[in-house]
Amino acid sequence: MQSQHSLGSNPLEQAGYFKVSGAHLYTVLHGSVDPVARVLLVGPFASERHHSYIPWVRWARYLAARRIECLRYDYRGIGESTGVFENMSFDTWKKDVDLLAGWLESQSPHVPLMLHGLELGALLAAKAFDAGVGDGLLLWSPPASANQALRATLSRRISIEQAFKYGDERKPSSYYIGQLESGGFLEVEGYQWSGRLWQESFGFELPAGMAGEGAVASMSERPLRIVKLDQGMAPLTKGSSVGYDAVNRDFTGLFADNFGWIAQSLGILQEGNSERCN
Amino acid sequence: MNAATETREIVTVTVGEISLRGTYHRSDSPADQSGSKRTGVLFVNAGFLPRASIGDSAVYLADSLAQCGYPSFRFDLTGLGDSDGDVPAPLLDFMNSGGYAPILSATVRELVERFSLSGLIIFGHCGGATSALFSAAITKECTGLILLDPYFFLPVERTKVRAELSHWVSRDRFGALASAVYHFLKHVRLLLRRNRPPSNANLPLIGCWKQLASAGLPILVLKAPALKTRGTKPRVGEFDYLGYLQALAGRNSRIAIEFIESTDHSFANLQGRTAVRHHTEQWLNAVTERRPVLEFAERCEGNVRGSEVECGR
Repeated sequence: MQSQHSLGSNPLEQAGYFKVSGAHLYTVLHGSVDPVARVLLVGPFASERHHSYIPWVRWARYLAARRIECLRYDYRGIGESTGVFENMSFDTWKKDVDLLAGWLESQSPHVPLMLHGLELGALLAAKAFDAGVGDGLLLWSPPASANQALRATLSRRISIEQAFKYGDERKPSSYYIGQLESGGFLEVEGYQWSGRLWQESFGFELPAGMAGEGAVASMSERPLRIVKLDQGMAPLTKGSSVGYDAVNRDFTGLFADNFGWIAQSLGILQEGNSERCN
Repeated sequence: MNAATETREIVTVTVGEISLRGTYHRSDSPADQSGSKRTGVLFVNAGFLPRASIGDSAVYLADSLAQCGYPSFRFDLTGLGDSDGDVPAPLLDFMNSGGYAPILSATVRELVERFSLSGLIIFGHCGGATSALFSAAITKECTGLILLDPYFFLPVERTKVRAELSHWVSRDRFGALASAVYHFLKHVRLLLRRNRPPSNANLPLIGCWKQLASAGLPILVLKAPALKTRGTKPRVGEFDYLGYLQALAGRNSRIAIEFIESTDHSFANLQGRTAVRHHTEQWLNAVTERRPVLEFAERCEGNVRGSEVECGR
């Protein structure tokens, strides 16, 4: 751990590069004085990152203001992180979760660590949690498999593309999926998806027992919650379209509810503490 | 965690109480060691997207330009990406009225001073192009503009009914016919107006363009294909802003307009980003009158991979 770069007017918000094999992960630590818990935020995949960025940052700031320190980051090969996207795999991205969770935990082992993932990030967080990482898990709209997440992104790309094409120029979904299934590359919103990534996505699934909102309480002794976000939650989650009108959407209700759950489940919302946490 | 990698560094510019977060892509060109001041490039957010832009295309471009000797910066404006502050509401109106110009102008001045640059060229895409134009008009340290798909009208959010209508028009034969008639009537109206900008034209922005272009500020405009049209001309019935603005610019203007095929408005696909880099590098070398030494010319050439561009020509 070396020096980080503080975010100007908020010295507790620090950006940095976390060195991993062959790349640097871009991270932003939303610090808190005397934190009562830590959360590793595992954001959505590739192009979804860009649309959900504003509310995702707001969520991190919301938690940090309530003494829950957060670390958010960009996947290897995506956003501000270095690395070549085409060379990445779900296992690589899963390793990054493990490394960052380990680093965050090492900052103060006496403070509980929660993993929180959104969409594909929920899948990565769930895998890490299933392997024993973290004291709690919060999932927002986890897909059943990585392939489900990729398909949702692909369908959106196809429908946008079709809006600009006519007649025979329009290709059905099977045309694009065929390219991936034959092992080729497909450009999706500026990212080169490989056939290999597509094939791997089928086997990268949510751990058994985490499939539904109601099916989680008994799965683990550690706290676990799954929240399904509907399309009204765009741009935090995929919407039919994300325009300027959605940028400033108020997520206070969602944030308050989930903060309440984190605080309660980690036992940090205690008498005398609740006011400070709120 | 480190604040920098071998080629990138996290930088912050504080303007008043707002801190803007950005990434500096270091250039290790020979010009760095010669002591002569270099021209930098500053990328601003495309609309509300974070500074990496769609498909991380801005990262790719900044890396490429830095390798060719142009120190490059990507910044998040107030409320966007990692920067401080709330998103101005409504954001689109704020951007279209030049709301980001003061803070962007201050950022340009700060970067020029801090990194000993001869000036900064602002790179703006879509809404970012609007902010770039408004800022350049109040910033003498801005020595050029690169504008991707700039727009000079005041767009309004599409209503659900409008979106449904567009969907019908694109799918239905009668819809396509209705659309053709509608655009023909729009074309007739344009002819009757004798090439005057429509009522929703962003006149202050056009004023900035006129001021900058007539003063000879180098401006590169890159256009992606739009619906039912080819080249830089708009579809039938739409006002030809670029044609109008070129005519408005006067004799001293240094405007270059390039059309990029096989891409879309995001310029994020392989063809789009490669072509943007190609045109940008060529244009930068021309406007900065730079003749890169052989090593750098080769590196730039290598970057273009398969295209016929030669850096420095």
